[in-house]
This record gives sequence, C-alpha cells and structure tokens, in this order.
Amino acid sequence: MKSAARTQRNPLTALILGWIVPGGGHFYGGERGKGVLFFVLITGTILAGLVLGRGTSLLYGRLWNAAQFCGGGPAIALSFVSQYYSTRGQIDWADRLNEVGTLYTAVAGFLNLLVMMDAYVKLAYPRREEDKGDTDTGKQRAG
Amino acid sequence: MWETIGNFFVDLFRLTNPLWLYWPLCAVVALVYKATKLDTPRRITLGALHFFASVTAGMFVLGVLFYLVSRFL
Repeated sequence: MKSAARTQRNPLTALILGWIVPGGGHFYGGERGKGVLFFVLITGTILAGLVLGRGTSLLYGRLWNAAQFCGGGPAIALSFVSQYYSTRGQIDWADRLNEVGTLYTAVAGFLNLLVMMDAYVKLAYPRREEDKGDTDTGKQRAG
Repeated sequence: MWETIGNFFVDLFRLTNPLWLYWPLCAVVALVYKATKLDTPRRITLGALHFFASVTAGMFVLGVLFYLVSRFL
C-alpha cells in the first residue's frame, strides 16, 4: 500500500522540493525519517560552514558558488547573511577557517544534489520488494 | 628514539591545516551517503561508521606518505 502511494508521487516534484528544502523530496516520497535526517545534516553543514567562515563562506568564488547553489533554499537564504557580513569589512581570503567553511558549504551542496537525485530515482524507478536485498524485510524473504 | 617518533606525529598535525575540523564533514558525508543506499537505521549507522573509519584511516596513511615524501625526497 505504501509503495502504491509512492508510485502516484511525481518524481520531478520530489526533485524540486528536494532543492527548495533539503530532504523535502524524501519527505514528499513517504520517507519522512530520512527527509528529516537529510534536512538536519545538510542545513547543519551549511550553517557550520557559515559560522566557521565568520559569515562569509558563501561568497568565495564562482565555482564554489555553483556547488553551494545545489544546497538550495538554505544556501540561498544564508547567502544574504554572507552579503551582509561582507559589507562590514574586508574579507580575509587567506584565512584557513574561511577556506574550511567554504568547503563545508560546497560539500553540503553536492550532498543535497545526491539526495535530490536519490529522491527522484526512487520515485521514477521504484524497486520491487523482492529486489530489496539490503533491507531487513528483503533478507527475511530471501532466507 | 621515542622523542623522534613523538615529534614526527606532533609535526604531522601541527604543520598542516587543523585536521579535526574535517572530521564532522567526513561524518556527515558518510551518514548522507549511507542513508541514500541503506534502509534501516541500524545498517545506516554501522555503514556510516565503517565509511568514516575507512576514510579517516586512508587519509592518515596518505598524510604519512606525503610527509615522508616531502621530508626525505
């Protein structure tokens, strides 16, 4: 019944929701626990990166911004915070913590891309229950 | 001799970027990656721990190798 409900969900909607709110695609697809887990981990990583970079981690450069853009809603919302902090003084680009913070936000963006694609693929190409070798139910059936 | 070995490891961590800052990032990558692959919380936790330990050990070995190359070659 759960998988029947899942097949009625639109994979593209899951992809877009996953971009707007990290984990939103999984939440929409019925995997609410995973959706919350992804939201906490990805948004937390973006926030940690911003704190490490003293508020300026989301303004590092074009290639970094492309990765950070994948972080979706939270990354875009927090880029305004970065913009605000950058107007308060010169950014020290040689600061190691800024570098680490930028890496955090960029990796969070790539992780969100992975999560979005996972949400899309799970709805677009749902596995049959008997194919699930990595779940407990699949193991019990195989045994 | 023991002092030399001790200094070797102290230098390894003192002269590089603060490595402990990367551990939370590594843990997040492990958890997210394993959560997309596995279904039960127990398997996700165990898989993420294994992934985290493998990456940390691998990076440590790479660090030692680079240090040896930069010091003796």
